[in-house]
Amino acid sequence: MSTAESPTAAKKVVIHLRATGDAPILKQAKFKIPGTDKFAKVIDFLRRQLHRDTLFVYVNSAFSPNPDELVMDLYNNFGFDGKLVVNYACSMAWG
Amino acid sequence: MEVLSWDGTLSSRDFQAAARVFAENWKQFNPALPPWTWVPCLKQPSRLSQEQGYLSLEKICLLGSNKEDEQEDVDEEEPEPVDNATLIESAGPQVCYYDFHIVYSDSYRVPVLYFRGYYIDGQPLAWDEIEKDLPACSSKVLLESKWTFITQEEHPHLNRPWYKLHPCGTSEWMKLLFLGDESLATNGVAVEQYLVSWLSVVGQVVGLRIPFDMLNHHKSCN
Repeated sequence: MSTAESPTAAKKVVIHLRATGDAPILKQAKFKIPGTDKFAKVIDFLRRQLHRDTLFVYVNSAFSPNPDELVMDLYNNFGFDGKLVVNYACSMAWG
Repeated sequence: MEVLSWDGTLSSRDFQAAARVFAENWKQFNPALPPWTWVPCLKQPSRLSQEQGYLSLEKICLLGSNKEDEQEDVDEEEPEPVDNATLIESAGPQVCYYDFHIVYSDSYRVPVLYFRGYYIDGQPLAWDEIEKDLPACSSKVLLESKWTFITQEEHPHLNRPWYKLHPCGTSEWMKLLFLGDESLATNGVAVEQYLVSWLSVVGQVVGLRIPFDMLNHHKSCN
């Protein structure tokens, strides 16, 4: 095993954030997050980056994950190519 | 249906087809929870050929419940007449149940979630009591989001006041959900997947979770 991580270090998951609709594209679209974090962390991150409260966040399987889900669980079920693709949209015509 | 020209809505007939598939899958992947059942109802008896109805999931305990502290106060204030059978029950936190109905809206052409909460004796919960049962993230979502808000309205089939999640944004976010899925661009919108995708959003407000297996199952069916 080449990974020299200590057993206590949480395994990290690569999140790929993809804008849909006319949501602004982030400078840094990929980032790593501990798998033990909840999906709520991803939503909060997006909210801070975009300065928008009304965000619609979903994964590439036509569903919106519950904020309480663990990132690792989502990755294991819906991730591929070593990353979890998360789509986001801002309020557009609704505003 | 082609994804790009799709407006995120569903016909009444498609809703019924989607409802059947959804109820079957729910039974398969949520064996521990009560099933969603189809309740047929004839709104307009003149058009007997057109069956209408709604999906119903009843007597669910919401997990976000944290009423213990408050409930003790209430018990002290109102001493019940002594009855050994009920005494044991009222010693612990009072159990609350929720009923959820998925009703098709003809005007918005989307499913709408109706719900109500009540104590074990059938007494309905007031809104501030229901709020305590909702997930912590939910009140935040309700405050901030323009997509979902709760109003109290007459249940279209039962003619009694129920809470409902307003459907005005539903077709918009449903469209977004399906636009993001590349496989649907080639295969079109699968009606069978509509309700599970819909509930993944709506369920967050009321604390109804969908198991990953159920979402995966739909994905692999495409």
